[in-house]
Amino acid sequence: MDFLAFLVTQCLNALSQAALLFFLGCGLTLIFGIMRIVNFAHGAFFMLGAYVGWSAVYVTGSFWGALIAAPILVGGFGAAFEMGILRRLYGRDGHSFLMVTFGLTLMMGEAIRLLWGVAALQVEMPKSLSGIVFILDEPFPIYRLFLAGAGIVTALVIWQFLERTRLGLLIRATSQNAEMVHALGTDVRLVRSAVFGIGCGLAGIGGVFAAPMVTASLGMAPNAVIDTFVIVIIGGMGSFLGSMIGALLVAFVQVFGSYYFPDFALAFMYLIMLTILVVRPGGLLGKEA
Amino acid sequence: MAGLRRRTLLTAAAASPVVLRHALGETPIKIGMPVALTGPAGEIGTQMRHGAEFWAKETNAAGGILGRPIELIVQDTTGDPATCVRKAQDVVERDGCKLLFGMTLSSEALAVVPKLAEWNAIFMSSDNGDGRLTGSSFVPNFFRANISGPMETRVISLWLREGKLGKFFALGMDYAWGHNSIGVFQDEVKRAGKTFVGDVYSPIGTKDFSTYITKIRQSGAEGCFLVLQGDDNAAFLSQARDYRLQDKVQLITSIVDLNSIHAVGDAAIGLAGSTRYVATIDNPKNNAFVAAWQREYNALPDVFEGEQYQACKMLQAGIEEAKSIDADKLRPALETAKIDSIKGPVAMRACDHQAVQGGYIVKVVKKDGAKFPVPEIVTTFPGDQVTPACRQMTFDS
Repeated sequence: MDFLAFLVTQCLNALSQAALLFFLGCGLTLIFGIMRIVNFAHGAFFMLGAYVGWSAVYVTGSFWGALIAAPILVGGFGAAFEMGILRRLYGRDGHSFLMVTFGLTLMMGEAIRLLWGVAALQVEMPKSLSGIVFILDEPFPIYRLFLAGAGIVTALVIWQFLERTRLGLLIRATSQNAEMVHALGTDVRLVRSAVFGIGCGLAGIGGVFAAPMVTASLGMAPNAVIDTFVIVIIGGMGSFLGSMIGALLVAFVQVFGSYYFPDFALAFMYLIMLTILVVRPGGLLGKEA
Repeated sequence: MAGLRRRTLLTAAAASPVVLRHALGETPIKIGMPVALTGPAGEIGTQMRHGAEFWAKETNAAGGILGRPIELIVQDTTGDPATCVRKAQDVVERDGCKLLFGMTLSSEALAVVPKLAEWNAIFMSSDNGDGRLTGSSFVPNFFRANISGPMETRVISLWLREGKLGKFFALGMDYAWGHNSIGVFQDEVKRAGKTFVGDVYSPIGTKDFSTYITKIRQSGAEGCFLVLQGDDNAAFLSQARDYRLQDKVQLITSIVDLNSIHAVGDAAIGLAGSTRYVATIDNPKNNAFVAAWQREYNALPDVFEGEQYQACKMLQAGIEEAKSIDADKLRPALETAKIDSIKGPVAMRACDHQAVQGGYIVKVVKKDGAKFPVPEIVTTFPGDQVTPACRQMTFDS
């Protein structure tokens, strides 16, 4: 393998990882931007997405069916959770949100264990994506290219959604001044439910995308939630663009770090986070904390 | 007068069902099974429970042992040594068990064995891998019917010696198990006169293995030894398949089981390694066992289900020979027990209570009509080559 081929394939690997991390990070940061709460259950929604995806493939026989069903069901569950439980807590301090969403993580984990069993579940990728292409004579999975593409498309769609649509406008406005939006006659409670649902739906779709690569398993939630927090802290809490940059940074550091310094693969990610926190306490694009 | 009354009483007592059952020797043989049903080892423990329950049902249907039915008392240890000791104490002291199965993890077994003499109980292990249990931590009331960890590694090294692969790389999870196993493997590769080109360790919970796959590819190795388990194992195999790593490199693992194969499906095809038991062993005993198992559970028996069944049969042979479950009578009978097992002939050894048995190398293949790929036996090594010398964990040659 020559150096150029190595560089290109590693960059593509990093891009595909960044896409997965972005699905998680951007949902978490949207939720934080609007509600000022840290959704500890974000990893559990990611895991739920993978399991719902498995069931959808089982029922419909199609991976594409799973890509549609999972975000709707997971997002719907998230919105329902916001309306049923979180909404009652808005007057309280941040700790109660942490406790409630952490509790939700445990309950979702147990529920998944009961419903789907302890064994990891394999999600077949569609035949059209399971092949390889040769990039500079090196085999590369088509699925990873597809994943990187899906990440880019999703980022563009969300950006346009936030900039061009009325709901997007309301979301941006609410994140800046919720009381003013409320005073102007918009039901801020609905905006919050919608954002929580969208954020969880994005995590769910990330779970479906991840499932063919890592299988649907009970270990997904804790692993995912840590990476996601790192991304959001690096990018700046509440910043959409920040979550994109954070995902890219973490993915590239993980891929190249684990190649050149395998013994410090994990340390690098935290080192970057620490450095950024020291230089810019609010994250790269966040408001100063 | 007094004599007459006593005889009447005795007759009356003998006619009552309770005493009748005693007279026919039908008090159940109680076997305690503290086993990890939940927690990280829960999958293995559940297999062990299935294996023992299957045997108990089959044996009871055939009239039990010595005419007595078998009663299993299963307790969940969660895989924690302290809990395991407590649960074992419970089944011995409260339920009156003098025979034990279970103790899924070696750490649990090592915590329990020092108590066996005090309890006057016999423990027949079906899955504990730690070599010390029949070595430095040996106690007279412990018996191991299964293949131990050192025996598993031995099978792989014997296979390497006769195989044609020459250059090896290794990937392991970054904790004690990964480093130890790869250390042993590295020595074996060198002893076989082959080349070890490098190793790398992935943090527990790694999701993206693309970099590690690149490293394996770049190393130029013909075989890669894997020490991965659970989610990490499933993620690696799925992604290795995506990169077509198996086309260039033979993937080798220390234990091939159906559970891991089911998690990744076709991505497991081509994987080779040692196994303690596999449903495709072809002998009349095993074929009958697999057929009966499929009728009961509608699935093939997995590694620890087969191993547990063998351990049960070993204990049964001992009890039938001793005609008792008393530890002092059962121990000598078990020390010379020989059974025609589902794995072929298996003989207990008196010197360290390790069962001498053959080892298998399997390769995962796709069979027409089967939903999942299955492990097929590539080669078998006889018990005298696989089993270490008495109370030893290493091999001289």
